[in-house]
Amino acid sequence: MVKKIKSVFPNFLESVLHSYSLIFFGKNNFLASVLLLVTFLDFYTGIAGLLATIITSFTAYLIGLNSKKIISGYYGFNSLLVGLGLGIQFQPSLELYIILAFAALLTLLLTVSIEGFFQKYGIPYLTFPFLFAIWIITLATRQYEALNISERGIYILNDLQNWGGSFSVIIYKWLNTLPLSESLVIYFKSLGAIFFQYNILAGIIIAIALLIYSRISFLLSLIGFFSAYFFYDFIGANIDELNYNYIGFNYILTAIAMGGFLIIPSRYSFLWVVLLTPLISLFISGSAIILDIVQLPVYSLAFNIVVVMFLYALNWRIRFNRKPAITSMQLFKPELNLYYQNNSSERFYHNKYLSIRVPVLGEWTVSQSYNGEYTHKEEWQHALDLIITDNAGNQFTSSGENKEDYYCYNKPVVAPAAGTVVKIVDKIEDNLIGNVNIENNWGNTIIIKHLDGLYSKLSHLRKNSSKVKTGDYVIKGDILAYCGNSGRSAYPHLHFQMQSTPYIASKTIFYPIANFISAKGKKYSFLSYAIPKKDEKISDIVFNENLKSAFQFVPGQMFDVNITKSNGKKFQLSWEVQADIYNNIYFYCKDTKSKAFFINNDNIHYFTHFSGDKNSMLFYFYIALFKVPLGYYKEMNIVDCLPLSILKNRPQKILQDFVAPFFTFLHAKYSLKFVRKSDDFSKSRIEIKSNVSLKRIKKTYRTIDFDIKIINNSIEKLKIKEGNKIVTATIKLK
Amino acid sequence: MEKKKYERPIIKQLVTGVPGKFGRPEKPNIMTHIDGVSVKSLLNEYGSPLFVMSEKKMREKYQTAKQAFTTRYPKVQMAWSYKTNYLDAVCSIYHQEGSWAEVVSGFEYDKAIELGVEGSKIIFNGPTKSEADLIKAITNESLIHIDNIDELYLILKITEKINIRPKVAIRVNMDTGIYPMWDRFGFNYENGMAWEALNKIMHSGKLDLIGLHTHIGTFMLAPNAYKIAAQKLSDLALGLKKKFSHNIKYIDMGGGFASTNSLKGIYMPGVDTSPSIDDFAEAITSALLSAHYSTEELPVLILETGRALIDEAGYLLGTVLANKRLISGQRATIADIGVNILFTSFWYDHKISVAQEMTDFTEPTALFGPLCMNIDVIRENVELPLLNIGDNFVVHYAGAYNMTQWMQFITMRPKVVLIDEQGRTHIIRENESLETIKQLEKVPEYLSKFEL
Repeated sequence: MVKKIKSVFPNFLESVLHSYSLIFFGKNNFLASVLLLVTFLDFYTGIAGLLATIITSFTAYLIGLNSKKIISGYYGFNSLLVGLGLGIQFQPSLELYIILAFAALLTLLLTVSIEGFFQKYGIPYLTFPFLFAIWIITLATRQYEALNISERGIYILNDLQNWGGSFSVIIYKWLNTLPLSESLVIYFKSLGAIFFQYNILAGIIIAIALLIYSRISFLLSLIGFFSAYFFYDFIGANIDELNYNYIGFNYILTAIAMGGFLIIPSRYSFLWVVLLTPLISLFISGSAIILDIVQLPVYSLAFNIVVVMFLYALNWRIRFNRKPAITSMQLFKPELNLYYQNNSSERFYHNKYLSIRVPVLGEWTVSQSYNGEYTHKEEWQHALDLIITDNAGNQFTSSGENKEDYYCYNKPVVAPAAGTVVKIVDKIEDNLIGNVNIENNWGNTIIIKHLDGLYSKLSHLRKNSSKVKTGDYVIKGDILAYCGNSGRSAYPHLHFQMQSTPYIASKTIFYPIANFISAKGKKYSFLSYAIPKKDEKISDIVFNENLKSAFQFVPGQMFDVNITKSNGKKFQLSWEVQADIYNNIYFYCKDTKSKAFFINNDNIHYFTHFSGDKNSMLFYFYIALFKVPLGYYKEMNIVDCLPLSILKNRPQKILQDFVAPFFTFLHAKYSLKFVRKSDDFSKSRIEIKSNVSLKRIKKTYRTIDFDIKIINNSIEKLKIKEGNKIVTATIKLK
Repeated sequence: MEKKKYERPIIKQLVTGVPGKFGRPEKPNIMTHIDGVSVKSLLNEYGSPLFVMSEKKMREKYQTAKQAFTTRYPKVQMAWSYKTNYLDAVCSIYHQEGSWAEVVSGFEYDKAIELGVEGSKIIFNGPTKSEADLIKAITNESLIHIDNIDELYLILKITEKINIRPKVAIRVNMDTGIYPMWDRFGFNYENGMAWEALNKIMHSGKLDLIGLHTHIGTFMLAPNAYKIAAQKLSDLALGLKKKFSHNIKYIDMGGGFASTNSLKGIYMPGVDTSPSIDDFAEAITSALLSAHYSTEELPVLILETGRALIDEAGYLLGTVLANKRLISGQRATIADIGVNILFTSFWYDHKISVAQEMTDFTEPTALFGPLCMNIDVIRENVELPLLNIGDNFVVHYAGAYNMTQWMQFITMRPKVVLIDEQGRTHIIRENESLETIKQLEKVPEYLSKFEL
């Protein structure tokens, strides 16, 4: 049967399971399975929920909705709730199941419609479809006489006896004798209530599953609930309301959504969880009175409204305020979101800055940086002056009396990024050395428009040296003109700034250079999104063709990976480069079902994210080549930080998960070095060493070394060394 | 009070009043120290004559040249021209700086390999490559620059025997508007020989054609010629792209950049007439950058400049042996430096400084070497102070070609000393002795005895 379903709808099981875990904002089979079990604490409720989910997933699939979303459970979880709601309300009967099927269909249609409406505003539809569906159906079924109101849930002991015999009754009774405080009992019941299981057992199971699945979610559920509890206590509201109506879950769901899922967990998100509690309370109490007129429960209305409003407000922020930060890449687990965000905000500013390069060729010296001592002040403080110096630090040869004596004079100036040339001044005389032209202080200048509100300006160019015209579209690295000595320039140099308006005298804006090499003698360091400092020698990364083609992974490529362990054991894996519909490219290991996502731009290869088996070879491949500049620089040490999600669930990691929103004491450091390069032109051989060291506070407790060999323009060997253990992988393109 | 140095009396026209068109009469050049090391102490320690190399100057020259190119063009690779100076220590300095090796014979090739240069970083140029040399170079994955069609056929023949694809480039000669045109090396561009060779290589399918090479001349004073050469090579490269969809990985512009030495027959001194390395860099890179390569496929620019990097770093120190007056009335000074060790004196009017304090009086002098040969003339006519026997002097710009073209003739070759960046001296080549010479000789038994 399952096989047959699978042939029609291959990811059927996944889509059903995800519908369960999505209630807690997760995509996790373990959590889902536990939740599925919990719904069956009341058998007929469980059946109804499962049926509704299956029907919805199938229908969605047959209609031809986005299969990615169906598999993720996006269309199923609202139906699941509707199913559970109906299942507990009515006695099982054929009529009920027929109505259930149409309720599922209705929920699906509602889900798609509400999704379409909310999508425009960039906010999730949460459980709105469930609310509309269950209310309408509840009202409608009052007219249906064939349905009998269920009494289950009222006589719990009877139900338990029917379901699990006397054993379950004993457990239930034992649970009731536990010395649990009233608040804890309400907490557990509230958790159970999310799945219409109004009992403490369900709540305890869910709480444990939640704890195993995500420490932060669990912590948030407590914070959400208890801040409500204390608020009720403080305000003198009826705590029984929390207990009787089981609406406590509104606080729990809001806490998880706002504290860790839709927002990156941090002390700010936690603070907001506490601050939003009274709002939910107001909504619950207020809406309950209105809904009482038609005798409808409020369910999760308050949660939905508060979350949507708050998220909407955050989306309207115009300040670059990242506190709290909205989750930009959803990994369906607060810890993962946090570790990924922490890591990527250190690694990338992609969301924020366009990638701009050093606007010259070769190595130049910064003679004046941001907030410089001469002219980079006030509105013009975010600018760079560049010159060329020799090893002795001189910027000119011979006497230095002629502009031609200066190393930088008449050297090419290139476009820092792609854009349209919007302004050219090209006819101002170069000054004699020591003289300045105050009248046309910017001298010969080229301004390029890169984006709306983002321009770059290059000034003091040589007279008549412009190679472009106004309106020309240039790409990054195109030669624009030559360095000169025009304008307020006593010695030849290049002035480079980014600005938000297209005028010659526009004020500057802070804008880091995306990637550049900083040289100290023959020692190079690689900097990303940084502002070069005064006297720093900087250059753009010059790509190495062999490295570049070795890291050119194209979707569809298949690799045979032969692994030899130190005990002589050998086995083979198969990897494939795949792309998803969002153009994310990743390595996929068929045997371990693991994915390692990567990007490749600006001559740098980055692995961005890994999901799957942390013992797999692909995982080691991911951390070994976490960041590789595609230019060969021998004396350069490339460093980076790995996200903590690479760590396995050991006690210290679990502790780290709990405190992660506030404090990180575990660190994973990455470094890479180029060792040797030979034969540049055809059968390249490049040797790379990289290393991952795991640190507790500052002490290293584990290191893994990697040797990577690139032969013939492709990565051929990966050797992993940890202590005496050595594992080798030979990678071959099929 | 120290005893004043004796200088012989001379009779000289007194020049007074305003300076002439060449300015005031020049004072004699005095150079008592090289990189802080006194010339006298060097000669005392290592004997006279003596070659002295300045490591500081070599590195400085290299870095300036490299910077001149890298600030104009993204991908630049230097290759040290072994024939310019292949002393191991000298080559090592350039290799430390990142230079590859450019060799023109099996001997130079072996020397580079022996020194530790990886095969794939050796460029094998020149018209003399034996089959054995080629097999070695192919096996080592070196870059072979094919000089003529027979060599191409030989390489193709070798590929039938060994199972390694040779990495080749062709050397191209062309009209760049200068005279003489070096049409004896490589394949001509204008008459279609270059294309013929490229077609043969591409159609053979057995060779990896990865570069194009030219070397338009030596001691070039016209940067524009390089511009024309770079344009013509780019034409070939882009033509290959069009015809065979084949990307050329590098363009080798050779060397031949002038140093600041003064060529014979040129009126003004070299410092004033020679173009700077920047002029050459500008000519070459501007031609390549405007040649319509796509940014991703911009070829690596290889430069084999030798002389311009080392000429100024080499000095030859000598001692006066005798003075005499020729029948023309001209003074002549005989020194211990002969043309056998200063081969370049046939090409250049080497600048000469004296190595001790002297008065400002100078006399037009012929500077002869110690050889019993009429051609042994270091300078035919040079304004020198009034040197006495035993006085020392410095010949400048002697770093290029002398330590490779010198010969053991009548006298023996002297030591070569390197002054490192900290001012320490190191012998980098011992002087020859009777033993060195006799070592190679063999006397048949019946000639071993004679009586006079």
